[in-house]
Amino acid sequence: MPLLNEEITAQVKEQLSDLEGPVRLVMFTQEFECQFCAETRQLVEEIAALSDHVTAEVYDFVADQNRAAEWSIDKIPAIAVIGAQDDGVRFYGIPSGYEFTSFLHAIKTVSSGRAELSTEGVQALAELSEPVHIQVFVTPTCPYCPPAVMLAHQMAISSPMVRADMIEATEFPHLAIKYEVMGVPRTVINETTHVEGAAPEPMVLEKLQEAVQGA
Amino acid sequence: MFDFKLTPSLQETQQETEKTRGRVYDLIVLGGGPAGLTAAIYAGRARVDTLVLAGSLPGGQPANTDVVDNFPGFPEGLEGPELVRRFQSQAERFGCQIELEEVVEVDFFSRPFTVRTHRATYQALAVIVATGASPRRLGVPGEDKFFGRGVSACATCDGFFYRDKRVAVVGGGDSAVIEALFLTRFAREVVIIHRRDELRATQIYQEQAFANPKIRVAWDTVVEEVLGDQTVSGVRVRNVKTGEMETIEVDGVFIYVGMDPKTELFAGQLDLDEWGYIVSDHRQRTNVPGVFAAGDVQDPLYRQVVVAAGTGAVAAMEVEKFLGEYPKSRIDKDVSTACCETEL
Repeated sequence: MPLLNEEITAQVKEQLSDLEGPVRLVMFTQEFECQFCAETRQLVEEIAALSDHVTAEVYDFVADQNRAAEWSIDKIPAIAVIGAQDDGVRFYGIPSGYEFTSFLHAIKTVSSGRAELSTEGVQALAELSEPVHIQVFVTPTCPYCPPAVMLAHQMAISSPMVRADMIEATEFPHLAIKYEVMGVPRTVINETTHVEGAAPEPMVLEKLQEAVQGA
Repeated sequence: MFDFKLTPSLQETQQETEKTRGRVYDLIVLGGGPAGLTAAIYAGRARVDTLVLAGSLPGGQPANTDVVDNFPGFPEGLEGPELVRRFQSQAERFGCQIELEEVVEVDFFSRPFTVRTHRATYQALAVIVATGASPRRLGVPGEDKFFGRGVSACATCDGFFYRDKRVAVVGGGDSAVIEALFLTRFAREVVIIHRRDELRATQIYQEQAFANPKIRVAWDTVVEEVLGDQTVSGVRVRNVKTGEMETIEVDGVFIYVGMDPKTELFAGQLDLDEWGYIVSDHRQRTNVPGVFAAGDVQDPLYRQVVVAAGTGAVAAMEVEKFLGEYPKSRIDKDVSTACCETEL
């Protein structure tokens, strides 16, 4: 049985109809599939079937560990959304519920290669001289979460120094505990600083600079 | 078990371009909820050149509502995000430009009006303010410190983190009781803290709450402080009848004490009532000719999707009339004085 119903399928098809460049959905699962691994794989395959520009590649986290390392994948289910190059856009856990919006947004933005950030934002990211890792913790039932995820992913697309993960907290409870997640969205930058809620771009930028300077 | 929501935020935003720079729109709508999007549908359909600044969380309150059961025309009810997504595609069909930008400053003193977002500056002959309302905070010590880390305004977002824990829900209306019921799926105990001796929530929800063994109600009680060191450990409460203070041990606090209109940006430019709502007349006009208000930002009473949509439609029709009377060429010199004489 398909995961996406007819109505959503039609909307996705329309959303993906004007993709500018090819997008690879590089998905990692394993032979004995983890919780939601099977559904995540199915979702990726269903979406790839809706656009000539989107392809699904499914790998085994254990058997293909070299490839997992190559894409910096450290947990599953994982999806790397890859455009002309790897912008560092990752989804850990199934992007269902409200996060489905973030997922389609990532596909579209990676395809165009153009992040939609303010001029100041683009400039600040261009000046980064060291790597930044953004982890956005979400739950699928959180309407405030997609803006935080989309902002982080746009920063990753804008700067080669930034990589950004969506992390579905209910599938990775140990990470939720490690990063003291009691509410979502929670954006953790370089393990050191964090932002609560769907914060506007300037505030996240400020925290990002704080994280880089504090390092 | 999985659902997949496409919320309105998928709309692509556009950078400041030659097209928008220096351009004067007929109308800028502030807000992308039912009021703003209905105004856009009406304005777009009337060929009014319209820009909608929907903010970074478009869709308004229905975007965070599971099911909207009372919007006419949908006998089975409809998911909130889906309802506003339809509003938005209807507005787009009539040629409205929708941007996901957060407004940071407005100038209604000079014409054309100026609206600044953190991305760009826009100008228009008329403005409809439909910025809606946001959840009210308690305003007690500890609340800000723990917001997002034990204090929450979204049970559906954060309920998961309170598995087998104790939580407090502050409030006594529908939202408070519905979310308290929801939280019983995770938490081992839910204490509803309510300042009165009876709930305001609809009877059917009250009955469910009273029948649920995980829920108890602290009546006549208000929160004075959220306690905790690194994480929330409890709330200090006061009984409003006896004055007695008490500490209730909880791991999380969910706040559902009503909504506040989002009007900080307009203070000093638009007339606000004592609760901060924009004062508008039955034609949705504000004290500034050419600036209209619609939806929850000017409605302390009803706060319904259908009412917000209705006032959005009225505002758009009034904008059309306003623009007809004061076209671009005349607006600078005539409007400030002339249109204030029209009877309210």
